[in-house]
Amino acid sequence: MLFRTVLLSVTAGLCLTTIAHGQAPPPPSTGMSIAEKVDVCTACHGPNGNSASPQYPVLAGQNARYLYLQLKDFKEGRRHDPQMDPMAAPLTRDDMLALADYFSKQKQAPSGFKADAAKVALGRSKADEVLCAMCHLGEFAGQNEIPRVAGQKYEYVKKQLADFKARRRTNDAGNMTSVAGTLSDADIDNLAQYIANLY
Amino acid sequence: MNHRITIAGAAVALALGISGVGAQETGTATVSAKPMSGNLTSISDAMLQNAAGDPKNWIHPNGNYSNTRYYPGAQITAANVGKLVPKFVFQTAVLESMETAPIVINGIMFLTTSFNHVYAIDATTGEEFWHYKHKMGPITTFCCGPNNRGVAVSGDTLYMGTLDAKLVALDAKTGKLLWEKQIADPDKGYSETMAPAVVDGKVLIGTNGGEYGIRGFVKAFDAKTGELLWTFYTIPEKSEGVWAKNDLTGRDMHRNIDAEKAAYAKDSSFYQTLGGGVWMTPAVDLKTRTVFFVAGNPSPDLYGAIRPGDNLYTDSLIAVDLDKGTYKWHSQYIAHDVWDLDAVSPPILTQAKDASGKMVDVVIHGGKTGHVYVHDRATGKLIRFSEAMIPQENMWVLPTKEGARMLPGANGGVEWSPMAVNPKLHMSYAANLHQPMTYHVEEAAYPGGSKLWLGGAFKTIPSEEQWGQLVAVNLDTGKIAWKHKTPQPLIGGVLATAGDLVFNGEANGWYKAYDARTGKELWKYNCGAGVNSPGVSYMVDGKQYIAVAAGGNNQIDAKRGNSVFVFAVQ
Repeated sequence: MLFRTVLLSVTAGLCLTTIAHGQAPPPPSTGMSIAEKVDVCTACHGPNGNSASPQYPVLAGQNARYLYLQLKDFKEGRRHDPQMDPMAAPLTRDDMLALADYFSKQKQAPSGFKADAAKVALGRSKADEVLCAMCHLGEFAGQNEIPRVAGQKYEYVKKQLADFKARRRTNDAGNMTSVAGTLSDADIDNLAQYIANLY
Repeated sequence: MNHRITIAGAAVALALGISGVGAQETGTATVSAKPMSGNLTSISDAMLQNAAGDPKNWIHPNGNYSNTRYYPGAQITAANVGKLVPKFVFQTAVLESMETAPIVINGIMFLTTSFNHVYAIDATTGEEFWHYKHKMGPITTFCCGPNNRGVAVSGDTLYMGTLDAKLVALDAKTGKLLWEKQIADPDKGYSETMAPAVVDGKVLIGTNGGEYGIRGFVKAFDAKTGELLWTFYTIPEKSEGVWAKNDLTGRDMHRNIDAEKAAYAKDSSFYQTLGGGVWMTPAVDLKTRTVFFVAGNPSPDLYGAIRPGDNLYTDSLIAVDLDKGTYKWHSQYIAHDVWDLDAVSPPILTQAKDASGKMVDVVIHGGKTGHVYVHDRATGKLIRFSEAMIPQENMWVLPTKEGARMLPGANGGVEWSPMAVNPKLHMSYAANLHQPMTYHVEEAAYPGGSKLWLGGAFKTIPSEEQWGQLVAVNLDTGKIAWKHKTPQPLIGGVLATAGDLVFNGEANGWYKAYDARTGKELWKYNCGAGVNSPGVSYMVDGKQYIAVAAGGNNQIDAKRGNSVFVFAVQ
């Protein structure tokens, strides 16, 4: 755990540096084309939505329905993130639909995640136990409003599960907060290992 | 209203077919395979009003304005029903749940499928005249399958509600779109699956969405122009009610009314997301110019703490003025429902004895509780409720995090399935489910209207058998006259005929006819896919036909099909 903590600090430091260098763009403005708005997203979420930064989720290949609803939730205040809140605020419904459509059609790149085999096995077993696949489908492929999380960033998945557990994220209609409430910190770590390693 | 069975709470979301961005976008194109028959006639108000006595046509989803689903022709009887054979099978292009009640006018049938396709076909041969595909908007949010329950007709126009919450008007002759009107915002959880009613130039339509935190309503639109004439909200701004301790049958619902009162005093603004969907075609009494419908469950289904009060007018039978849409009366079956044992099956206008034995006008409803409720039509007062048509146990135990077992399960009893009535015999016929479930509650804030918001879960109990029961109730006494157990839960709806027959379908593909007096099984035919839709009957060239869709069902996951079967005596 200590080792991971150190890594986390380093990662966070890098990102802050990146933003401090001015690469995080200002929020999209209403006059922008969808292509220009996509560029705003990809500045953090990576080319085509294939994020290279641990804390920014991969958007490429994500379900359009899920992406649209998350943007809407950021915009309308049901989900909060200091970086995403101002990004989503100026978007119209059509913008959100178009962006969701765009990223859903991009090909997800392999995660390249270096997993701990023992933790992956524990994560798989926990996933079976709490019935993740009933919503997320087999291999966490996702469907409709339920996100694809196969190959999602390890740190991001961990943070989301912890946020659901602590009810810092509550835009799930009660489903994830209910499941996450039963998970230990170790379960969350194992699940994130398993999920990040799926693609 | 309802939930596909089996599943853990989170899981329910996906199975219900919440479709999403870009789902099922189709063109508006219509295809003419054969010129429309010259027999198609315009449907006058008089024809609509006299439909209960017209054996030739089936021009209301439930047969007539009273919703009796009682066909007045008697050519097919117990004596010859055994010779019923399929005359044709019409295959649609859509392999998904079929809940349609076909409309038949002078030998031309209009039927719908999931995802809002409409077909016009020859009702004696199955030849296709046209096929309309609704162009679905980019956002749809719907529970329990992409269903449609049929069109309504008036004049030369057909009316259909759509999954993207529109009312569309089609030229019956060509299938061409005449106009469409947005009823409500699908992004907030509104959708349409019910067949509308058309009366006196008004199209009446409710809304789905009780699983998404909508504010339910019935709206009336001008049948010619689509202009909105009135809206009756099933959720009033003051939704607290009378703080009923017991349900309408007198059983304690174990509410903490003091805590609810305190919570309500702090915040009562939740009426805007309190649910109360209206899933099925209203009944209309033209003598008193009254519209009758039932409103479904409060949102969220299982988590009641954030919606204190009786949650008016959820789980209620409601009467409103046909011309103005103003409130006349309501009768609430379950105040502050936390089980989704709501009111869905369409009300039926008929007659029955009151407590003193006098024959009076009544309105009846088949509940998810498993009771048939008989109300005085003028006042809404409950005259009687029937014996339970399926097992009830542990009512009303409150849902818990771990799950509390109670019967009936959340689908009923009687789900959306319309009942039928034989007015000669004073009997109602109801398709029931028996699905033992545990009820689980989970704290959940309003998720914005686009995500299934149950506030918990219903789970079936794998070790307990599920089954169905077709039940005849004597409306004068509330006693069960006969019952017929089926191997699977029943969803679809019943047809009764003046030949004293009752027709009902099953998820295993059987379509069966029963003696209306005794329940004796007289005929069956296997359609090869779930028969989970209400049958209809009509006459062409002096011959009586029976038609039913066999498309399976999303809610009980009955085998899907794509066909309408039409039967006649050999």
